[in-house]
Amino acid sequence: MTVMEKLAFKEDMISPGISACIGCNVELTLRTVMKILGPNTVFAVPPGCMGGVGVVGWNKQSGAKPPVFFPLLDNTASMLAGIRLGYNAQGRTDINVVAFAGDGATVDAGFQALSGAAERGDRILYICYDNEGYMNTGYQRSSSTSKWAWTSTTPVNASGGGGKRQHKKDFPVIMAMHDIPYMATASPAYIPDLVAKVEKAMSVTEGLAYIHIYNPCLTGWGIPSDQSIEAARKAVQSRYFPLFESSRRKIRITRKVKEPIPVKAYIQASKKFRHLDDEQIQELQELTDERYRFLEAMEQVSQEG
Amino acid sequence: MEKSYKAPMGEGIYEVNTGDWRIQFPEMDKTRCTECGICLMYCPVNSVKAGYGEVLLKNGNTRQGLVYTIDLSYCKGCGVCAQECPQDAITMKRENKR
Repeated sequence: MTVMEKLAFKEDMISPGISACIGCNVELTLRTVMKILGPNTVFAVPPGCMGGVGVVGWNKQSGAKPPVFFPLLDNTASMLAGIRLGYNAQGRTDINVVAFAGDGATVDAGFQALSGAAERGDRILYICYDNEGYMNTGYQRSSSTSKWAWTSTTPVNASGGGGKRQHKKDFPVIMAMHDIPYMATASPAYIPDLVAKVEKAMSVTEGLAYIHIYNPCLTGWGIPSDQSIEAARKAVQSRYFPLFESSRRKIRITRKVKEPIPVKAYIQASKKFRHLDDEQIQELQELTDERYRFLEAMEQVSQEG
Repeated sequence: MEKSYKAPMGEGIYEVNTGDWRIQFPEMDKTRCTECGICLMYCPVNSVKAGYGEVLLKNGNTRQGLVYTIDLSYCKGCGVCAQECPQDAITMKRENKR
C-alpha cells in the first residue's frame, strides 16, 4: 500500500465535522495520525485545542470512533500508563495506547507525568502537537513559545517592545535524552515523513514512543487560512524546526536542509513576530543555526558509536 | 442529517455541520489536474475523496490510478487545496449569498 492509498482508503477515525478553526493543520495532523493508527486504538486528548473542538465528544456523544478519553492537563501519560497495564493484565498487547496532547499538556503542565512514564518505560505512544502556546484558552504563552513572540500574556507595546523574553524549550532533544526507544519530530507539511514516523512509533514494544509535531496556529499567530501548510513548511526549510528521529540517544536527521531559507522568511509569515527588529531576528537566526549545528554534531557522534 | 456510523461509547458521533461555515468553495479543473493527490494529502477536513479510475495523461493515453474529487459536505473553505495544488487546478469561488 502506497502512502497515497493509505491516506485515501484508511477510515477516518474522527468525527467528520469538528469545530477546529478554518484551515487548522492540527485537525489535518490528528486525522492523518488516527487513520494510520486505525480502529484498534485507545486515545486520550487532554484539555487543549483538540479537546475543545469536540474530538472528546459533547452532550453524551463521542467525537471519535475509537474510545477517547479526556484526562487532566497534567496526568495524561500516567492515565495511559494505567490503561496499558490494564490491557496487559487482560493479555491484549496489540492495542495502540495513544496521547494526542498540545504543547501546554506536554512541555509545561504534563511534563512530570510524561517524564515519569518515559523513565519507567511504559509502552505508550505520546504525540505532541506544538502550536507554541495555550491557543484554546486565548493564546497565552507556554514554555514552548518562541522568543520575542506576541501572546496575550506577553503583550507588545506601541513602539514594538515586549513579547516573550525566554527561548523556546528544546523539547524533542529533552525527550530523546530520556533514553526512549523512539523519538521523532514531524511537520504537517511533510505528510509521508509523518506517516512513516507514526508507523515506526507503532512498532515500538519495549517503551515509550514520542512524536513532536510543529503546527503553526492560524488564529493565534495571525496566519491566513490558506497559508496553513506553507507556514509549517517554511519552519522546516529554514531549519527553525528540523525533522529528526532518535532511538536510544542515536540521533538521525531525517530531512537534511542543505540550503536553508533565512529564518526571516519563516518569521514574516506570522503576525505574532511582526514587531521584531533586525537585531531580534538575527538572534533567532543564530539560535536556529546553533541548534542545527548541535543536532549535526549529535548525529555525527551517533554514527561513530 | 443521516448518522452513518456508531461510536463505542456515548450516544453516537458528535458532529458539527462545518459545511455551513463556508464563504468560498474549491472548484477543481479536471483539464489541468494530474491526479497527484496533494489536495487529499493536505485537506484538513478530509473533504477530498479518492477512487480508482482512468487517469488521462498529457500524451493522450490513459492509465489506471487514483482519481480525486472534492466532497463539499464538511468543507470549511480554507483554501489550502488551491494554495498547495502544483498545477493550479483548484480555484476558490465565492459562495452564493455570502
